[in-house]
Amino acid sequence: MISSIEPKAFELVCYMVTSACNLLNENKLYGPFRLLDTASRLITLLEEEGVRSKRLEEIRERIIAGQYSVMEDEKVFADFLQGLVLALIPLMEDGTV
Amino acid sequence: MDLLKAIMERRSVRSFQTDPVPVDMLRRLVEAGIWAPSGGNAQTWCFIIVTDGASIRRLKMLSPGLLGNPPAVMVICQNVAEAERKGAKLGKEVLMLMDSAMAAQNIMLAAYAEGLGTCIVRSFHPEGVQKLLKLPQYIEPQILISVGFPASVPKPPKRNFNIVSFQEYIGND
Repeated sequence: MISSIEPKAFELVCYMVTSACNLLNENKLYGPFRLLDTASRLITLLEEEGVRSKRLEEIRERIIAGQYSVMEDEKVFADFLQGLVLALIPLMEDGTV
Repeated sequence: MDLLKAIMERRSVRSFQTDPVPVDMLRRLVEAGIWAPSGGNAQTWCFIIVTDGASIRRLKMLSPGLLGNPPAVMVICQNVAEAERKGAKLGKEVLMLMDSAMAAQNIMLAAYAEGLGTCIVRSFHPEGVQKLLKLPQYIEPQILISVGFPASVPKPPKRNFNIVSFQEYIGND
């Protein structure tokens, strides 16, 4: 029996593999963008499977709010990424890891 | 609708409502597409509209640039064999790409006039999408356009007006 998570995981894996292939010929900023999008999709997948987490939700909200700056301004996108990493630190203290 | 208003207010929408897009609306978009200019009047394009949820999910697996959950995706294809027969090397390597882009712009403006949101996508795996849609070798996917009623509309990105020149040519020396 295939668990309910398998089709969703398969979709995500296909997205990641296709991204890896396409990124060979795309704007280099699309690499970090696809990684962020993958993180966001993974959080949604886990949520749909009953893994609810305030800190994961917060990360996804921040990603959604800032990820499309990649289309507009490289510096704004770079600053957003820096801020996102630093925002992870207090979240580390909220869980077991 | 005023054309300039549509040109300036159209945005790349990546967040859609779940409501399906009526078929007659989608047909009007295709009609707008085929009224685009075509190099040498080749008209070697063809349009595939995907609305089945499972098919869109599969398409998304091969299309990293296809973001959000659009209820419809339009695939603009080119008949490469016909493009070469009608337009020789220029037709195959340049004109058919320009034709696809011009058709896409018509489609997106027509969609805006219908109250729909769209996003043009080139970040997909062409051979993979060709195989997924069971297209013959000579029909190549060129552009995807996600279509749906917008859930949110992004702010307009900055435009650089400095590149506009009203001189006879740019750079007076």
